[in-house]
Amino acid sequence: MSNIPLIHVVDDDESLRTALLRLLDAAGFEARGYASTGDFLLHPPPDRHGCLLLDVRLPGPSGLELQAALLRQGVALPIVFLTGHADVASSVRAMKAGAVDFLSKPIERDALLDALRRALARDALERAARDDGRQLRARFDSLTPRERAVFDRVVLGRLNKQIAEELGIAERTVKLQRAQLMAKLGVGSPVELGRLDERLGNLPD
Amino acid sequence: MAGEIPLVLVLYSNDRLLPANVAADAGLREAISNAAVLSDEFLDYPRFTGEAYLGAFTRFLQEKYAAHAPAAIIAGGPGALEFLLHHRAELFPQVPVVHMGIPSASLRSLLPLPANVVGVPFEYNFSATIDLALRLHPRARRLLLVTGTTPLDREFEARLRDVVPDFKDRATAEYLAGLPTAAVLKRLGELGKDAVVVTPGYFQDGAGRGFAPREAVQAMVAAARAPVYGPFDTFIGTGIVGGYMPTFTAIGHQAGEAVRVLLTGVAPTALHLPQVMPSALNIDWRQVRRWGIDPHAIPGDAVIHFRAPTFLEEHRQEASAAAVVFLFQSGLIGWLLVERRRRRLAELAVQKTRFELTHASRLAVAGELTASIAHEINQPLGAILSNADAADLILESGADRRTELRAILADIRRDDLRASAVIQRLRALLAKHEIERQPFDLNAAVSDVATLLSVEARRRRMTLDIRSAPSSATIVGDRIQIQQVLINLLFNAMDAMADLPDDRRAVVVSVETVAGGIAMAVHDRGHGIAPEHLPRLFESFFTTKHQGMGLGLSIARTIVEAHGGRIRAENAPDQGAVFYVMLPAACAADLPLSGRT
Repeated sequence: MSNIPLIHVVDDDESLRTALLRLLDAAGFEARGYASTGDFLLHPPPDRHGCLLLDVRLPGPSGLELQAALLRQGVALPIVFLTGHADVASSVRAMKAGAVDFLSKPIERDALLDALRRALARDALERAARDDGRQLRARFDSLTPRERAVFDRVVLGRLNKQIAEELGIAERTVKLQRAQLMAKLGVGSPVELGRLDERLGNLPD
Repeated sequence: MAGEIPLVLVLYSNDRLLPANVAADAGLREAISNAAVLSDEFLDYPRFTGEAYLGAFTRFLQEKYAAHAPAAIIAGGPGALEFLLHHRAELFPQVPVVHMGIPSASLRSLLPLPANVVGVPFEYNFSATIDLALRLHPRARRLLLVTGTTPLDREFEARLRDVVPDFKDRATAEYLAGLPTAAVLKRLGELGKDAVVVTPGYFQDGAGRGFAPREAVQAMVAAARAPVYGPFDTFIGTGIVGGYMPTFTAIGHQAGEAVRVLLTGVAPTALHLPQVMPSALNIDWRQVRRWGIDPHAIPGDAVIHFRAPTFLEEHRQEASAAAVVFLFQSGLIGWLLVERRRRRLAELAVQKTRFELTHASRLAVAGELTASIAHEINQPLGAILSNADAADLILESGADRRTELRAILADIRRDDLRASAVIQRLRALLAKHEIERQPFDLNAAVSDVATLLSVEARRRRMTLDIRSAPSSATIVGDRIQIQQVLINLLFNAMDAMADLPDDRRAVVVSVETVAGGIAMAVHDRGHGIAPEHLPRLFESFFTTKHQGMGLGLSIARTIVEAHGGRIRAENAPDQGAVFYVMLPAACAADLPLSGRT
């Protein structure tokens, strides 16, 4: 169930919104409609695979303003813009801010579905990346303080003997903990451990 | 009393009521006025004649005027002059005599006259009268001449015979001389259109019956089937067509003048008198009509009788005054018509210019609205396309979702109509249409504009607040033009608030019924209008915008004023500017009749 993509449609024109929701439903997506940016923000999207189909011109804050707000809030839904009147300034701004596509009404089914699929693909990738990071972090978080201290020194390239001296423990104990933490983090070599450390450093907090 | 006012004896040849005498008497009295007392005597020729009668009459005059000797004597007619000359020794030989009504030919036989006998003879103009008759009746080939039996009648006949041969080429002469009246009338009654009659009348017919010549002529005219002409003005009114004739009134007047001068002591020989009385052409207009005479053939100097005086003749002075006024008025009206036409042409030119300008300004508005228009049309088109695509997919899936398909079709139809409505609204706004004058509800017109501009307002993040008049606000004019004024004011209002925070970006449009009309106000909450700009706001090419032409408000004013309204701007007391458009309310006459839509 949760692997069916959920598409959020924000358009103030009820008739068009209904038509889009019908089309997405018939094309096998789950879709939800919102009449304004405010309406969308009042109903926070569940953390689900999906994307956003967004009108530019809306009552109150525009689609572009919603895009900026979502970026700030870290809501990583890919956005496809759909506008009644595509002007160059708006499209450039939207694309720079990471929009997947910038489409004009009326839009043909294939062009629309193609753009939405690309958005969903991007979401899938990002979602997977986010999931990997989260797993890695969880594993890392399962290390004991002593194991974490050993980890910090291993990735800096210290020898067991040096680590034992710094921590004031037996070298044999360092070896044991090093084997334990590599098992916990699921790595087989110090090289892999270094790469993992690099990924961890790139994860958002 | 009588001794102080001189007495003038007037002796007539014939009887008192002879029309010639009556006419002469009138002229005489008019000339003498109160310079003398007139005493009239009548020889009553030809009824009374003979030596005995004339002797008795002479004695009568001697006796009668012994105590009141006349200061002057007037002899009326050849008979009277002859009598006076004959009895000159017995009858006041020292008293000057003035004769009147004597034909030149008769006078010649009485010459030489004593020095104290003077007067102006007249000329019988038979020739001219015959010529006239033949000219006025070009088809006449017979000329009938009727005369009587008295010596005077014979004399007339002789004069006619003198001149008639001159006309032998133009007509055959037939004399009805000395016939009984019955025979004359019978002959005249048998005439046709080829004849004309000329007669001096007669004093006595062939049967010995006496007449005044006028009576004889009257009888002839009544019987004749041809036009009758005669040489005496006294015949006028009997039914003769006319003729060249001495007027007896003029003859009397001439004699009276002479007597008046004599009474002042001037010697008879010292009088300056004309050689002969002029004769005049007299015409009876009724006969002209009766005989179908060409009026243009009548000489211009003719005296026309019995023509109903034209208004001009009767009221010459008033008529000329009226004519002057009329001419002036005509001129004025003509000038006004020309002026009105010129103004109309100018108005048409202005209207055309205004029409072009308003159209241009509408196109400019359309330009500004491009984004909104595209949005408004693409919205329903997008919905239609997506609905169709959805239906397609539903059909492909093979599932039985008829209810949904039906809903889709209904939505497609609705959106199609929605797109078409947008296009119609735009066409109505942009089409070059002639200026109309139709009653329309300003509330509805304003609400249409609000609909048209709602997308644009949303794009600019403005709120349009429309406050309609509670009752209907009907005005007469061009709905599109008034809407254009409002669109212009709304664009200005939105421009004025472009840099304001969201909570102030609102335009209020209100329509109210006020005394004398309907007021539409457009109130923004911007920075207002600089006081130095207020007076020039509605001038052409005045603008404070970077990209403005400065025509919007001037066109708005032109349109409002063409509707008999006014437009003005002021700064609102709280904040922003208010533009007021005052338009006259439609009166009942402008509204369509009930039952007509």
